[in-house]
Amino acid sequence: MSEFLMFLTNGLVMGGINAISALGVSLVVGIMRVINFAHGEMYIFGGYLSYQLAVGAGIPPVLSMLCSVAAVFLGGLAIEKWLIRPTYGDEMYSLIITFILSIILQNAALLIFGPYPVKPPSLVFGATNIFGLFHYGNQRLLSLALAAGIIGAIMYLVRRTWFGKSVRAISQDREMAAMLGVDHLKVNMISFGLGCALAASAGAIIAPIFPVTPSGSGAVSLTAFVVVVLGGMGSLKGCIAGGVILGVLENLGAAYISTDYRHIFGFIILIGVLVLRPWGLFGKRI
Amino acid sequence: MKRAGLAGVFLIAILVPFFLNQYWLHVAIISLFYVMMASSWNLIAGYTGQVSFAHAAFAGVGAYTSGMLALYGGVHPALGIIAGTLLAGVLGLGLGGLCIRMGGIYLSLTTLGFSEILRIIITNEEQWTRGTMGLQIPGVFSVYSKTHYYFLFLAVTLAFLVLMRRLLNSDTGLAFRAVLNDELAASTSGIDTVRVRLMAFTSSSAMAGLAGGLYGHYLMLITPDIPSLGQMFLVLAMAVIGGMGSFAGPIIGAIALEFLSEYIRIYGEYHLLLFGLVALVIARFAPSGMVGLWEKIWRRR
Amino acid sequence: MKPVLEGRDVSRSFGGLMALHRVSFQLFEGEIVGLIGPNGSGKTTLFNAITGVFPPQEGEILLDGKPISRLKPFQICRMGIGRTFQIVRPFLKMTCLENVLVGIVGKDEKGTSREERVEQALLELEFVGLGGQSHRLAGSLTLLQKKMLELARALATRPRVLLLDEVLAGLNPSEILQALHMIEAIRVKRKVTIFWVEHVMGAIMTACQRIIVLDQGRKIAEGPPDEVRSNPRVIEAYLGGADA
Repeated sequence: MSEFLMFLTNGLVMGGINAISALGVSLVVGIMRVINFAHGEMYIFGGYLSYQLAVGAGIPPVLSMLCSVAAVFLGGLAIEKWLIRPTYGDEMYSLIITFILSIILQNAALLIFGPYPVKPPSLVFGATNIFGLFHYGNQRLLSLALAAGIIGAIMYLVRRTWFGKSVRAISQDREMAAMLGVDHLKVNMISFGLGCALAASAGAIIAPIFPVTPSGSGAVSLTAFVVVVLGGMGSLKGCIAGGVILGVLENLGAAYISTDYRHIFGFIILIGVLVLRPWGLFGKRI
Repeated sequence: MKRAGLAGVFLIAILVPFFLNQYWLHVAIISLFYVMMASSWNLIAGYTGQVSFAHAAFAGVGAYTSGMLALYGGVHPALGIIAGTLLAGVLGLGLGGLCIRMGGIYLSLTTLGFSEILRIIITNEEQWTRGTMGLQIPGVFSVYSKTHYYFLFLAVTLAFLVLMRRLLNSDTGLAFRAVLNDELAASTSGIDTVRVRLMAFTSSSAMAGLAGGLYGHYLMLITPDIPSLGQMFLVLAMAVIGGMGSFAGPIIGAIALEFLSEYIRIYGEYHLLLFGLVALVIARFAPSGMVGLWEKIWRRR
Repeated sequence: MKPVLEGRDVSRSFGGLMALHRVSFQLFEGEIVGLIGPNGSGKTTLFNAITGVFPPQEGEILLDGKPISRLKPFQICRMGIGRTFQIVRPFLKMTCLENVLVGIVGKDEKGTSREERVEQALLELEFVGLGGQSHRLAGSLTLLQKKMLELARALATRPRVLLLDEVLAGLNPSEILQALHMIEAIRVKRKVTIFWVEHVMGAIMTACQRIIVLDQGRKIAEGPPDEVRSNPRVIEAYLGGADA
């Protein structure tokens, strides 16, 4: 029983990470109708940069995490401006360009960082006894708390700020938003940067627990995409629910059915959603 | 003029084996495989505007189906390749049927997922596929000869291209282009856009299955590299660099990139990175590829 | 007499915003009916509902008494409803001939040979005055020619009812005259019933036998042009609106 609860908690931690990674995809899809196939690479870069800064440059772990996320955010802004903006209105080219980008970044990461998994230092140590049932690593608990904090921050950003108002205006009615003077170029650029930064923060938070490798980026992207389809394209609530569902199912599946086929559960869910409810849990039916 | 040009190309293609040594003949055979792959991918991406990331995966379906039927069931490769082609087509129909009505983004996501899953299954089912070690399978001919393989590949590629050309010149091809130009206007002009997209995706997937089956029986060793995303990227880069949406583009791109990659083989690990950068620059600044650039220069003169 | 095209209490909303509210209308064989209203009153939305682009959420649309509101756009087209668009949408990277051929292929009549289809397409181009242009790319045409090409493509699907969405917008006075002649020719020679949205008020008032007025998604008036013109609710809708 306590073993089951531990797997469940593991699933919850992964669910939180899935949710912030998927929020990054969903934000960009909702506003720009663009899927960033290099999403997984942003996650990997988040983890690697934070490792390099902490271990290579000796910067305190918390600071190195923040710096790596900020760096990826800036990278995202540049990618949007130079590569995505010229494809506006042509969905196919944006898909092709981000796919090419993912191959470039993945190979660049292999050359720069090497193929070996890296693990940035933990922020906290030890374990906590959960309700007297099982011991659980403090770093994992902290990761869950950080993920929850980021989700909260994004919710606040979208619900309460200038940026959020523009985002909602654009995703509801593009022309109307333009007439009301919303600067969609600026909003697009910031959203894309934020999308990348969310992926990077997911990578930076999880890396001390599960090391990252350049070859793992494909699975990361795929997980985020499955969560977005499951939750409903463009729905932020859907990302949280979908992220947790997938996190729990993958962990229970890996524990009780097969570790090798961990990522297959995601694909089965994807197919299931397309068959039963193609617009997702919280998506709008067209 | 055009006919004379085609006849010339055909003549060169037939004479190739008498001029190239075994090594370059091998490269020529592989380029024919890529001509089939890039052209059939162009059929969906270039002619109906949908991006499938499962093209290499469908080649893998073809290669593994035919290879395993030959190895475990003693089925003749000719029959096996047909079976692989059909299976790839059926899988394409199933996947496409699920997600094409939801729009282009869904097709890209689902095909990416399918591609990953297929790789995981092949890697893990070692008792059948021997995983990353690769599976040794019989060839098509009882006596191994690169020249024979070259002519086999050439014949299939030509038949393949003629078939594609016919399809594009038919009513179906007209519908493809209408959907690519303006989906809404096509649907209110009586075109069943979902069916048209599904048809393009299914036939393109089956073509990848055929190319993959042949490829496997030529290499006689099939590995999870065939259905990998790296392979997928190469096919995409060939079509993009050559020129998507034109008939000649992917053919030129495939041959150029395959021969080029033999020259830059020494830079092994930079290989994909380099092609990636070239493809990115072309996609960003010259979306109609080398063929498009050539036409621009030609018109200016 | 039974109507060719009929709408019964057609409603459609977008994200809580009522774009069409219980709109009913009837079109009779050979009629030409105008649809007017201020910007955002739901005219194009009604056309999108009829052609199945955004099907109605409530109510029923019938063609020759058969319900069509659950069908897909291509099926509705094949049943006999053709349309043009407010912002012209010919297939820009295809030739004029190919544009019209799409309509013929879309109609999906079995048993015609390629030659017969091309011949029919050339006739349609001739009819709209694009006789010599069959191998030009649609993207290189003038606005009037693009509109004519769109008409030819719609006619190629052999519609019983043709929905025209602001065909006159953006044309100069002499072009407007040509377009009006064309619409009359379509109605008389091709025996097509026409439902016509227009902003150019004078033209639609003289050409139509009957006018339907929408305001904020509701039908506020219907009748002969003179009657509609003096209807106080119509005057208020136009004067009260921003674009009077």
